[in-house]
Amino acid sequence: MPEAIIRFEHVSRTLISKSNGVEVDTTILPDLSFEIERGEFTAITGPSGSGKTTMLYLMGGLDKPTTGKVFLEDLEISSMNEDELSEVRNAKLGFVYQFHFLLPEFSSLENVMMPMVARGRYSAQQARKKATELLSDVGLSDKLNSRPNQLSGGQQQRVAIARALANDPLVLLTDEPTGNLDSKNSAMVFDLFKELNEKHKQTIVVVTHDEAFASKTQRIIHILDGKVHSDTRM
Amino acid sequence: MRNNYQILNIALRQLTSRKRQTLLTISGIGVGVMVLISAVSLMDGLLSSFIDKIVNIAPHVVVSGERMYSLVSDTLFEAEKGTAVNLIKNVERQDEEMIKNFKRVETLIKSDPQVSVTSPVVNVTVIAKFGTISQPLEIFGIDPDRQDEIVKFSSNMISGRFSELEKTPDGLMLGTTAAKDFGLRLGDKLQFVSNLGKTFQVKVVGIYSTGINDIDNNAYVNLRVAQNIAGYRPDEVSQIYLRVNDLKQDYAVARTIEKETNYKSKTWEEISSSVIALYKMISMMVYFLVFFVILVAGFGVANVLITNVLEKYRDIAILKSIGYKKKEITVIYILQGTLVALIGAAIGCLLGYVLIIIMSSIQITPSESNTSMRSDRLQMGKSPWYFVLASLFALVVSLVASIGPARGAARVNPVEILRGER
Repeated sequence: MPEAIIRFEHVSRTLISKSNGVEVDTTILPDLSFEIERGEFTAITGPSGSGKTTMLYLMGGLDKPTTGKVFLEDLEISSMNEDELSEVRNAKLGFVYQFHFLLPEFSSLENVMMPMVARGRYSAQQARKKATELLSDVGLSDKLNSRPNQLSGGQQQRVAIARALANDPLVLLTDEPTGNLDSKNSAMVFDLFKELNEKHKQTIVVVTHDEAFASKTQRIIHILDGKVHSDTRM
Repeated sequence: MRNNYQILNIALRQLTSRKRQTLLTISGIGVGVMVLISAVSLMDGLLSSFIDKIVNIAPHVVVSGERMYSLVSDTLFEAEKGTAVNLIKNVERQDEEMIKNFKRVETLIKSDPQVSVTSPVVNVTVIAKFGTISQPLEIFGIDPDRQDEIVKFSSNMISGRFSELEKTPDGLMLGTTAAKDFGLRLGDKLQFVSNLGKTFQVKVVGIYSTGINDIDNNAYVNLRVAQNIAGYRPDEVSQIYLRVNDLKQDYAVARTIEKETNYKSKTWEEISSSVIALYKMISMMVYFLVFFVILVAGFGVANVLITNVLEKYRDIAILKSIGYKKKEITVIYILQGTLVALIGAAIGCLLGYVLIIIMSSIQITPSESNTSMRSDRLQMGKSPWYFVLASLFALVVSLVASIGPARGAARVNPVEILRGER
């Protein structure tokens, strides 16, 4: 019996915006229920504005559903306050975005250490050791002390992946991780994810436009107008 | 394990990544603190050196001829109803403000153990004539030895000798300012014409300089001469100067004298109150201006933090998404403001200290006397409190300036940033 790591129960998300003094409701997700199981490498695809990025933010506790519930394992993250969510994000989730979002004043090593020391999970010494390992896992053992602006786009993204893995997350949530990379670097990132998933049983969710990338994952959830249009397991 | 070090580290890295802007802001705070410290020191020094001089060379209390209350009618006496009374003398109003029978009054005053010295004074305005110059001059008749204990002429003489005044019945001793007005030198003879039209000849036997204009403007003769000029009897004077042992008691002493003698008495604070008030007003104006200097420096701090926050939206978003809490983000930017203020205040204290030393070595008037009383340099106040207060002020201003940007940073919604909406 496969175990659900992420579970959406009738989740809706409506944005309220004001234009010319009139409140306009935009429903992004009308009613969404699905599960992601432990160890799955899932791609969420769909056209722009289909709601796939919102789904990712809801999984990451960065956004809250208007109605419905979001569970991470058995934790109902949709009812948590901001500080509780900070703890959960730090302990159980790793994020990789389209842009690397590394802190420019810190070296690769320090950027990877950042989540480890943020909530005091590791001492500086332990964090340094672990960050060094993670960076060598992504092939950057020679760039430990480089600042982000001294790295290429692909290298920056690999540092960001190492940072996302810093606290051994339950789920790696990634938003267009190859959107800014050339095909060679995209392939490298995919191989890295593949290896993580196969060797370490890392659960990975990738939101992507990249059909080629998606086609190589185990499961593709295609979203159209906020609804699951197709859910295919390879 | 806490993450305090990490938060400090992030704050520091962000500050040092914008070196020029940060240094400029630190300089702004530094200059503000320096200006505040030196302004406070200057104003404090001016007032206290003024007070020091007064306390050293001016009477602590002046008893004047003015009565506390008008004379009680002497037509009140006991008599049977219906008795006829022959009134010879009506109540006399005494317009002349003088102290009568001054020796008895002095004895009365001296019975207060607080009083250390008393000195009778007759002051009268005459027309002084020297060469072609003829102008009014207020002269003081004194008992030289006793007056010297109050004004300390003997240690402030720049020409002639103080003892000559007592030895020379027609001697005149004047302050350097008064001497300059008339172009007088030692040995010169000049004439005084009194109110009553009489002419008196006097001879300059000494010139002194105390550094206080009010005193250096004066001219002194022997008590007897002034009494003659003013038309006073030998037992009449216009004022009695006195010094007290404990300066804090001067007010009580003055009030006791008024009660016991009925002569109006004023302490040095009361006499100089308008000057002291002026000093205080000028100080207030200076502090007010300096306040704005620091306020402007505070805007600098706000500016640095606002730019840091605006430029770091992405970093703030990522910090939040990897587990930093709202409060911790606020602390990062409050820390930045505090660090800038602390470093700026430290530099400002150092510069302020140097500036005080430099300012206190500036010569303001050429030295005319090498006596200890005379100061020809700016008297700067010296107190550690200037540094503490100026630094605290800079710190408070910077803290207030950083609250807005820091809270703005904490409100950053990561989703908006990550989506690229801002």
